[in-house]
Amino acid sequence: MRIELDRPRCEGHGLCEEAAPKLMHLDDDGELIIDVPEVDGADLDAAKAAVRVCPVAALRLAAA
Amino acid sequence: MTMRRIVVVGNGIAGLTACDSLRSAGFDGELTVVGAERHHPYSRPALSKALLHGVDGHGDEGLQAHQLPEPTHEATELLGVSVSGLDIDARVVRLDGGDELPYDGLVIASGSRAKRLAPTEGAREPRDDGSARELTLRTIEDAITLRQRVAGRPSVIVVGGGPLGMEVASGCLQAGCDVTLVSDAQPLSRQLGGHLSGIFTTAAVRRGLRVVGGGKARLIDSGAGTRVALADGTQLEADLVVTAIGDEPNIGWLAGSNLLVDGSLRVDTRGRLRPEIVAAGDVAFFPTSRGVQRVPLWTSAIDQAKVAAVGLLHGDAAPELDFQPYFWTEGFGLSLKSVGFTPVAGAPDYCEQGKDPESMLLRWENRDGSGTAAAVNYRIPIPKLRRLAGIGPGALRPAAPVNA
Repeated sequence: MRIELDRPRCEGHGLCEEAAPKLMHLDDDGELIIDVPEVDGADLDAAKAAVRVCPVAALRLAAA
Repeated sequence: MTMRRIVVVGNGIAGLTACDSLRSAGFDGELTVVGAERHHPYSRPALSKALLHGVDGHGDEGLQAHQLPEPTHEATELLGVSVSGLDIDARVVRLDGGDELPYDGLVIASGSRAKRLAPTEGAREPRDDGSARELTLRTIEDAITLRQRVAGRPSVIVVGGGPLGMEVASGCLQAGCDVTLVSDAQPLSRQLGGHLSGIFTTAAVRRGLRVVGGGKARLIDSGAGTRVALADGTQLEADLVVTAIGDEPNIGWLAGSNLLVDGSLRVDTRGRLRPEIVAAGDVAFFPTSRGVQRVPLWTSAIDQAKVAAVGLLHGDAAPELDFQPYFWTEGFGLSLKSVGFTPVAGAPDYCEQGKDPESMLLRWENRDGSGTAAAVNYRIPIPKLRRLAGIGPGALRPAAPVNA
């Protein structure tokens, strides 16, 4: 699966980084960077948690 | 016993997270989720924060911000179905209409509903012209109704000076309405404390919000509009009255279940009420470092639901909830993010100015030794804000400036 970001919706809460710190982070300007866009296995669970926690649904998982 | 059938009552973010977490934890049995609303789960915080803000014509983005991705937990979803009872001995959930759902494990995530000023159902009936006496904002339907009414730029009275009342007031002001906010205390002071309350109230008043005190409010029906009478005799009238006076847990269906203690649902540190019944989200009182409380907020619901799902499957071997509050609100040109318990007393012990005058990073050292950090118009990742709350300004840089 592939993590996709709808950047205009992102409000920079960073709850996704907290859920999946190995996959994404907010940079010094508060912009979300997806470090590992293609995920499977254990990473997929973390990616799902990151997608779920976003209160503005700026993230989604799409078929790779 | 082996759990083959789990029923989740409630299909908000707590119910959704419970379903996802059960699957992640390896539960591959029969999963059924019952939701009183007709929709898939959506983001409730986004309703007040974005939906109203879309009224002034910034496209339709505001109508989508609440939409969450489609669920992937492959549960049987019973949407638009209310529950009417629970028998913990027979292990069945009773549905409206008489059907019963048997379970081995049960997740109670039935949420809460808006409190109202109008005391009885009868008083909530629409007037002859079809308009409701008292609007509130809890569901997507509420939000759409409010958005439609506000588009006509009515005069508005918002009752309640908490985050929801302030967000609604801000959205109505931005839409061009004349807005009066009825609040006993200074807006947001009960939730956030005097300092942050002052920052928001100043910004709100500067943008044209009228703030009125005067004690307990009640509704009086009048010909043209709706009147709000305050305890001190003040009477206010407007085209539209929106109340935001708190929420109450949906526990009516549990009345005969023997699960309620003093009329409330109190879970342990793993979300459990019994080994085979857990609860999570706005409906539940749970232990925090500040005592047993209900914390009806987004990340609270998610964190509780994760813990409860694993608690249901693994019992005492499951991790306990270590609740760390996260809260955000926006309005009147301000955006606030805070971690740590609030309200905070007095002025912050650390303040770092951001790029513009309204942009700041604040930290309070609380009496119990914990920290609370808040970012106002300051973009900062939550993990960083948590470090600031937890270990102080050292989390940001080796020698941080300290301004009292």
